[in-house]
Amino acid sequence: MSEMVSISVDGQKFQAKKGALLLPTLLEHGIMVPHFCYHEALGPDGNCRMCMVSIEGQKRPQIACDTPIKKDMVVSTKNESINDVKRKILELELLSHPVDCPICDQAGECSLQDYYMAFGLNESRRPKEEKKHKNKKLDIGKNIILDQERCVLCARCTRFTQEITKTNELAIIGRGNDARVSTLPNQGMQTPYAMNVIDLCPVGALTSKDFRFKQRVWFMHSAKSVCHGCAKGCNIFIDHNQEKYKSDTIFRYRPRINKEVNGHFICDEGRLSYKEENSNRLEQAYAHNKLISKENAIAYLLHALNTLHPLLIVSPSLSLEELTVIQLLSKHFKLEVHAYVQGYEDESFEDEWLRSKDRSANLASIKKLDIKTSEKSLKAALECTGLIINFNHFSFLNPSPHEQAMLLHKKEIHFSSHNFENCRHKKLLYPIASFSEHEGSLINEGGILQKYEAGLCNERENILSLVHELIATPSTAQGVWDAHLKEVFGFEYEAIGDEGRKI
Amino acid sequence: MIQKIVSKNFNIKDSHKLEVAKANGAYESIDKAFKLKPVDLEVEISKSGLRGKGGGGASAGAKWCLVSVTNEKSYLVVNADESEPGTFKDRQILEHDPHLLIEGIILTCYAIHAHDAYIYIRGEYVAFAKRLEEAIAEAYKDGIIGQNVKDFGYRVDITVHRGAGAYICGEKSALIESLEGNRGHPRLKPHEPSPEYFFGKPTLVNNVETIATVPFIIKEGADAYRAFGTEKSPGTLLFGLSGHINNPGIYEMAFGESMQAFIDTVGGGVKNGKKLKAVIPGGASTPVLTAKEVETARLDYESMREVGSALGTGGMIVMDEDTCMVSALKNLLSFYHHESCGQCTPCREGTAWVDGIVENILSHHSKLDDIDLLSDISKTMNGKTICVFAPAVAMVIDGFISRFKEEFEAYILQSKESVNV
Repeated sequence: MSEMVSISVDGQKFQAKKGALLLPTLLEHGIMVPHFCYHEALGPDGNCRMCMVSIEGQKRPQIACDTPIKKDMVVSTKNESINDVKRKILELELLSHPVDCPICDQAGECSLQDYYMAFGLNESRRPKEEKKHKNKKLDIGKNIILDQERCVLCARCTRFTQEITKTNELAIIGRGNDARVSTLPNQGMQTPYAMNVIDLCPVGALTSKDFRFKQRVWFMHSAKSVCHGCAKGCNIFIDHNQEKYKSDTIFRYRPRINKEVNGHFICDEGRLSYKEENSNRLEQAYAHNKLISKENAIAYLLHALNTLHPLLIVSPSLSLEELTVIQLLSKHFKLEVHAYVQGYEDESFEDEWLRSKDRSANLASIKKLDIKTSEKSLKAALECTGLIINFNHFSFLNPSPHEQAMLLHKKEIHFSSHNFENCRHKKLLYPIASFSEHEGSLINEGGILQKYEAGLCNERENILSLVHELIATPSTAQGVWDAHLKEVFGFEYEAIGDEGRKI
Repeated sequence: MIQKIVSKNFNIKDSHKLEVAKANGAYESIDKAFKLKPVDLEVEISKSGLRGKGGGGASAGAKWCLVSVTNEKSYLVVNADESEPGTFKDRQILEHDPHLLIEGIILTCYAIHAHDAYIYIRGEYVAFAKRLEEAIAEAYKDGIIGQNVKDFGYRVDITVHRGAGAYICGEKSALIESLEGNRGHPRLKPHEPSPEYFFGKPTLVNNVETIATVPFIIKEGADAYRAFGTEKSPGTLLFGLSGHINNPGIYEMAFGESMQAFIDTVGGGVKNGKKLKAVIPGGASTPVLTAKEVETARLDYESMREVGSALGTGGMIVMDEDTCMVSALKNLLSFYHHESCGQCTPCREGTAWVDGIVENILSHHSKLDDIDLLSDISKTMNGKTICVFAPAVAMVIDGFISRFKEEFEAYILQSKESVNV
């Protein structure tokens, strides 16, 4: 099946895989063919009839999603007659559509809108009083709102629950133009991956209750990032916007396609974890329950590093670059570094798909850098010191009785992205940036090195610049990579690429 | 004109009972068939030129061959989901001669190496399903079907499955989807000739009447069947007459007879001595014919295509001179609107739209452009969907509009007047 043959599309010749489907091939070559029901993760269904193309030798227009490529095939995607066919089918799709784009969250990223602007632009030939009305706001659970009137019945969502999660919560009921997506009576979505149907929906029929009416999509900026919710490292977009007089805020995470890691999807818990980046952040430094200036805080930190022989504790979710400079810091002051991982294990979170029981984002880097992780070694290290310096390890910021006992009679310095009030009375509590505010790289549980961009531009100090102030290590991820990691991995920072790199 | 092959026992008292059926020749072909190789049966059917009698008229032999060449475990599915308006022929077989169908099933199973047959019967056919079940029970009891068909060492099991009332489940792939327990949606058509697949296994889907014709061909030979009908449409068909006709009913005739003569003689002419206006020749989905076209029409697949329609199921709906063609079209479109499965956009939205437009014409709320709009929508519906439901609707609309345009215009002009007042 992998034989390459020559085909011609709109007069342009290229090589394509014989027997492969025409639509994805055209899309890969950047040829815009409108489609609703076809989706890369779900394959063709042939119901929307939008992807019509004309093929030489065929009497009728054919749907590209179900046409296998043949040798010397001559395809036309935009001659007048095929455009007319597409226009007419689009007209039918819009026949009972409420055209409520001004209040629709999908506006700006809606296939129906895009296609109408691309080649529709027709006046409606049916009086609006004759539109078929259906349910406009149906809460189907798991943060999903279904608007049956906006639906084009492409069945992507139902196929997702049938073929991918195999949980079968959604189906199309009713016949003809009475057909609509529905759940079983009094039952909602169950799967922990439910919100992916919102991304799959090409129109505004499935919207997120969480995101509804919060932001117009064209105002938002997207950063390519990696979810820090578990060791799977699902690729995401961080969609954020800084509104006037407000700080830069994340409005949603969306899955970013990475076939080696998460495919097209992410879990709902990861998707909604953006809230943690926005709220309850630590803004100022505290010492013994009093606000302290950053200069005084740094002065105290230097004093502690120089004279108190502290134990450095790192979160296994810090970036590879952050871990590297902390390790350099430990070497500079001849200190020990430890990453206690027990607190990041959660068996109940694990499933067979995208959710890993290891809730840290970068344990593989910890191992790569030979940082100790066991409780036994931590206890041994704690016996030799009276002070810990914690870099965002939540087990010590928000300790359980077990961890409290380990820290008994120890003095504590915490660098924290989040506000843990219980830590304010410690020796020092100092605010740092979270992952959405700086760039870096991670190694996931499958050994794939991935980098993530800085999303929010809030002025929080990150660990790289902090350590830079102390011992003049490079202050950027790129700098750390060039100076210290390039040699270890054997390639440039850029070479990691958007889809990561297996190591 | 009448030529009885499938319907030969219809008028015999208690013909549905095994005893009576046997006395009238039922299951005689089985003894002959099991002395032959399966492929011999297939060859005989191919030679007979038997065409599928569910409406499409495709070659039965070619369809059988697609299944048997796979050499896999295969199934036979009998399509008894007779739902086409104006069509009521299969029910006659189920009611009067179910053993003929069972006999045909045994032969067909043997020919395509199948051991399991499913009869998908229209949900509303409650009484016929019951009768069929009774006949199957009798056949099991008598050892005609079951582990060892008439001691020939071949197993045939028959299961009756009642549909839930969707017209589209008469489409073979939607029927199979429904039989598998899924929503009755037609499947994407294969790009190369291919059998249907039921639970992943090659499957033959044939209409009740097609299967009921098999015993005659096997018993009497392909030539005996070819003695009837035309070169390209050999044999006979159960033709139906309904509507404004004196003798409505089912009549078996050879292909190629004159439609006019059939209506006048067998049908006894138009009811109440009125003039003929139009005939829908083969179930609702075939384009309507005017009285003038009926004069020249001959009842075989090729001739009907020549007059701009199709033979379909052979179920003719006769309409007299007083019939309102706008109402007639509205009646049909209401049906299609209700029965579109809703899978493909052109059909899902198109059937509802055209139904609404004709409704508007009928209730005098329309404009002259609406006729062009109807044609335009039917063009979009034609040839752009998974199955032939939407193209059939498009042809029905075109049939009415092209042949009776002035009636539609008259309605619309009245609505203009009412607007002006």
